[in-house]
Amino acid sequence: MATDAETHSGTGRLEFSLDVPFPSSREATIALRSLSPDKEPRKGGITKQLTVTDNLLSVRWSADEARILRVSVNSFLDHLTLVIETMDMFGPPVDP
Amino acid sequence: MTVVIGFEGSANKIGVGIIRDGEVLSNPRRTYITPPGQGFMPSDTARHHRAVILTVLKEALEQARLKPADIDCVAYTKGPGMGAPLVTVALVARTVAQLWGKPLLGVNHCIGHIEMGRLITKANNPTVLYVSGGNTQVIAYSERRYRIFGETIDIAVGNCLDRFARVIKISNDPSPGYNIEQMAKKGEQYVELPYTVKGMDVSFSGILSYIEEAADKMLSSGRCTAEDLCFSLQETLFSMLVEITERAMAHCGSQEVLIVGGVGCNLRLQEMMGVMCKERGAKLFATDERFCIDNGAMIAQAGWEMFRSGQETDLEDSWITQRYRTDEVEVTWRD
Repeated sequence: MATDAETHSGTGRLEFSLDVPFPSSREATIALRSLSPDKEPRKGGITKQLTVTDNLLSVRWSADEARILRVSVNSFLDHLTLVIETMDMFGPPVDP
Repeated sequence: MTVVIGFEGSANKIGVGIIRDGEVLSNPRRTYITPPGQGFMPSDTARHHRAVILTVLKEALEQARLKPADIDCVAYTKGPGMGAPLVTVALVARTVAQLWGKPLLGVNHCIGHIEMGRLITKANNPTVLYVSGGNTQVIAYSERRYRIFGETIDIAVGNCLDRFARVIKISNDPSPGYNIEQMAKKGEQYVELPYTVKGMDVSFSGILSYIEEAADKMLSSGRCTAEDLCFSLQETLFSMLVEITERAMAHCGSQEVLIVGGVGCNLRLQEMMGVMCKERGAKLFATDERFCIDNGAMIAQAGWEMFRSGQETDLEDSWITQRYRTDEVEVTWRD
């Protein structure tokens, strides 16, 4: 898992990115589709983008304040852990 | 044969149930119980659900003696309820649906209660009183909707009971409502409380404020006991519910009442409703705590009806929602 946080000097927004490797692109895609449907609870101040490249799930946040960013990243990590535990216990995925 | 697995976790209960054509194959459940004087907060409740949901899912499959391949559809609670607990349950439902290659189905929690009540009691077309910690509604079916005839204009009846329990530090184990019910049996004196039926609707927040304010003084001066207050609160709240249920029955010309939701397993409420029904020549249907209180099978049962009528939820549309009214759902499985 690789992370990277910085303030973009141009926009003044906080950026945070996270890369999560999965055993295969299939599992990375399942995680993406499980984690994407629920939008951020607050109306503004933060955006979150999820993408999959091969077996890597990448998440990129952009937020106005560190406080908002922390809450979103924390809850995402809780959700991610649950999805991975579910895959460990009830996977691997059946053939499509 | 159609087998549906249902995931429920919109409040402090987490349950997974499996239904095969009207038969409950398994329905394990856990409850997040807080210390006396404390309610359950969304993030703590979600943490509880995250810690146990996979164990409960494993139990549901084992008790039903089924493998994932035997399941036809994965149903979960889309709303209404607390956001964080709802997301927890939806995440697992989405993940297993994809792992197992099964369709997903988002279910309205209130519809789950109604369909489970209908399945268990065989009530055909009842006027439904749905009473729980988060909801209080009188519902009747008409033209492909479960229509709300009356409801609370502020807090739910169960929320009023739970918060009263917190004030006088009644235990939350197994539930505050159950403990109030037991204490009320020992009440000897009726303490007059506000009675707030407003047309077809009810209001409980004023009653709660009144009894919160009065409880301390009355108990410390020895004017009444905690048992008297439990008794008086139940009698007042339940009378209001019976009144609006009876009015809805008169409106609809209905001769059946079905009580669902967590408060629905209160035997005193069932008794009072039974008296009203007897006077009108109507029939009362109620279930016990296994199916009244939030559980996974009720989501599986509503999901079973929806799935059989051709509904599915795409993953991108599977977001949860804290507000989701009973009458938003088109009932595609009834005439």
